[in-house]
Amino acid sequence: MRGSITRIAVAAIAVGALTAACGGGDKPIGSASSSNPSSSTSTGGGGGTGEHKQGGTVTIANVGGQTWPCQFNPFNPAVNQEANGFVYEPLTFVNVLKAGATTPMLATDFTWSPKKDSIVFTIRDGVKWSDGQPFTADDVVYTFTRMKEQPALDLYSLWTGAGLTSVTAAGNKVTLKFKAAAEPYFFNFAGQVGIVPKHIWSTGEAASKPATWTDPKPVGTGPFTVESCTSNNITYVANPSYWQPGKPYVQKVQYPAYLDNNPANLDLASGKAQWGGQYIPNIDNFYKAKSPENNYWFPPTANVAIVPNNDPSRPATSKLAVRQAIAYALDREQISKIGESGYQPAANQSGVVSPTFDKYYDKDAVAAAGYDKQNLDKAKQLLQTAGYSDSNKLKLSIITVTGYTDWDASLAVVKQQLAKAGIDLTIQDLQQQSYNQKLFTGDYDLAYASQSGGPTPYYELRQLLYSKNSAPIGKQASSNYSRYMKPEVDKLFDQYASADPDTQVKLIKQISSYMIKDVPVIPTTESVDWYQYNTKDLDGWPTQDNPYAQPAPYNIPDVGQVLTNLYSKSAQK
Amino acid sequence: MRYLIRRLGFFVLTLWAAMTLNFFIPRMMPGSPEQALRERFSKGGSVVTPEQLRTVLAEFGFDPGKNLMLQYLEYLKSMVTGHWGVSIGSSLGAPVTSLIGSALPWTLGLVGIATVLAFVLGTLIGTVAGWRRGGLIDGIVPPVFIVTSALPYFWVALLLISLFAIGSNPILPNDFNYDQGLTPGFSGEFIWSVVKHGILPASTILVTAVGGWILTMRNNMVTTLAEDYVRMARAKGIPGRKIMFGYAGRNAFLPNLSGFAMSLGFVISGTILVEYVFNYPGLGYMFYNATVSTDYPLLQALFLLVTLAVLICVLLCDFAVFLLDPRARTKG
Repeated sequence: MRGSITRIAVAAIAVGALTAACGGGDKPIGSASSSNPSSSTSTGGGGGTGEHKQGGTVTIANVGGQTWPCQFNPFNPAVNQEANGFVYEPLTFVNVLKAGATTPMLATDFTWSPKKDSIVFTIRDGVKWSDGQPFTADDVVYTFTRMKEQPALDLYSLWTGAGLTSVTAAGNKVTLKFKAAAEPYFFNFAGQVGIVPKHIWSTGEAASKPATWTDPKPVGTGPFTVESCTSNNITYVANPSYWQPGKPYVQKVQYPAYLDNNPANLDLASGKAQWGGQYIPNIDNFYKAKSPENNYWFPPTANVAIVPNNDPSRPATSKLAVRQAIAYALDREQISKIGESGYQPAANQSGVVSPTFDKYYDKDAVAAAGYDKQNLDKAKQLLQTAGYSDSNKLKLSIITVTGYTDWDASLAVVKQQLAKAGIDLTIQDLQQQSYNQKLFTGDYDLAYASQSGGPTPYYELRQLLYSKNSAPIGKQASSNYSRYMKPEVDKLFDQYASADPDTQVKLIKQISSYMIKDVPVIPTTESVDWYQYNTKDLDGWPTQDNPYAQPAPYNIPDVGQVLTNLYSKSAQK
Repeated sequence: MRYLIRRLGFFVLTLWAAMTLNFFIPRMMPGSPEQALRERFSKGGSVVTPEQLRTVLAEFGFDPGKNLMLQYLEYLKSMVTGHWGVSIGSSLGAPVTSLIGSALPWTLGLVGIATVLAFVLGTLIGTVAGWRRGGLIDGIVPPVFIVTSALPYFWVALLLISLFAIGSNPILPNDFNYDQGLTPGFSGEFIWSVVKHGILPASTILVTAVGGWILTMRNNMVTTLAEDYVRMARAKGIPGRKIMFGYAGRNAFLPNLSGFAMSLGFVISGTILVEYVFNYPGLGYMFYNATVSTDYPLLQALFLLVTLAVLICVLLCDFAVFLLDPRARTKG
């Protein structure tokens, strides 16, 4: 029971991606700077506007593990999953599943400066807030300016980290200026920041304490408004004056607060809830077999990996030969099959998630280094050069989180595989908080861990390898837990921001060559976006063939994309 | 009278000691609110730096660098005055009082009624079984319930779910405290919905809790029935029913009463597993959640409630014993 709730956290840790074959017309994130208003044609799914009749209800079964506090402040990280996408919208939707393809939202267009250190958004005309007031460029400027005045609102560290220096409006154009090339932050400032109405947020408690304001009746531009909220359930109703004509088709969204996976899984299986975002063990029997209308799709996302401690204070794992030996000793297909029931595909040593980011994936380099298949002889040989033998066995321990049953199963396979190479692995199941403490401060030999991704492999790799994300042992690292410090790699990351798309692909390949050469992290499987959907009454879901948004309901603002495209079949009659 | 004063003094001292422990134990647990929030926040895939999270938490009143003794004094003051602050965990920013307020009635209603029912039923059955020792009831009921009381809560819960709540048209609902489509209010439909949603979780508690009461009550009865005053009563020809309840039952009941006071106190913490399995949004689940997310303000308030509930119930029990047992009075 306990396991399943923590399990969802892992499941959810990643932002997903799968685009084996994505259609034409996608532009990589921020690459095409066009002043042509025709770029407002939707690259999203569902097609044009108003093609379906309105009506119907969707019930979401997504385990939040808490009752609803009925707050909708988009700047509060604990509750913004219930507000962003539903009520508040970003300037542009960035589709992680289509390598960062953009769909205009509150901005119809954007143009980067040649150095990519400033960007001009054209603000959409004719959009109204749900209280009837017109939406203007002023609201956009206000939203970003408040983040500067109130650092607690600046969740993506735009002013402090990304180097945002000014936000100004002229007519319907909003200009954001940065200290340096800022393209990698486009995903954050254009795609994740929900724009709030100035006329509401500049008065009363919203103005004096914007970070802690509960915002119980949110006013937004989004497809839905909050009709009622109890600790059990949030009811959203369609925003009648939504700017996309005819949308949303579905008129009501019920979002019950599930505390644990079991009841949510039962409700999904019975069709009581139609949209799920969690791990269901034995899903074919438990869910799929219950109804032909029950479907699931798990787009692979970031990596789940063995993270060795690269710090010199760890005599074994700081040795390249030891890390290489571990990487050679693994049979990743077997880990995927036995440990993850095949739900999570096998990963590769380059750290680039395949097939999602195949464009960036240097398959030949992985094969040339011999990491494409298990090689026990090579592993044993490497261990010998590192000074280990049968009489002086290499003993390592790996930390993992108790209750993540699939990780436990995967690690049992890893243990067997490493034993064959002569490494004695001890698995330490730790309570979440102890695990975090050890992982963040670098108090471990090996750790089993996963990171979140982004619209290109850059986002995950930067978290894993950028030295500024690390910290000395004993201090909390923000994401580079392996303590990998390599100035050459840092330089490659720094070049990425201002590079053109082709160069960016080359840079990623160069960065992943260090994954192969230095083995700072050893990916085992690819984490996925958990997603279940019922097609009895509802259609317009994101699918493998039409991945117009990340499909799990915990993704923001993707949830808004899905909700505007869903329609009720019975309402069409 | 000295007995009562001594009890009251003990109550205050225990309360202070418990509150002090409640303050320090969560802070000695591994992890911190910032780490827990980081873990939760990474769900959406967004990358927020630890520094940014500290800024957010500071805005909600959590300052990890503050002197611990100072924090402790403030804590004592806020606990006494009822200013319990806002959650810094999964319900970041929600006032602790309103969080508890929304969960408390459900737990009191569900676990409270089930506990009282289990106690009353168990004590009655135990009394009768002990009185008719070796009889039909004594032969069947206690053994059956002793077996059920040994079953794990969640297992019974899952069994009940698979019996009554599975399928396309289940007899009883398997989750929540009422139909999510309904608005709470004093309508027949709503009340019926609450009752229906309560049946399975309450049955789970009943099935697993009643055995203990039966067993202790029955055994106490058996011992008490061997006492001389019971024999004397029989010899005097006093009616059986009067002996059963007025003579033997009254005395055999005392140990059970102390146990009951304890279990009433724990109603506040809820039956965590039951609430978990049935997705019943009560205090038990809130407790679990607060622990996982290292939500100091919520944890402190919940601990205070549990401590108070247990202590007050024990105190009340002491008073009841004072009334029921003449020996307590003469000793005092």
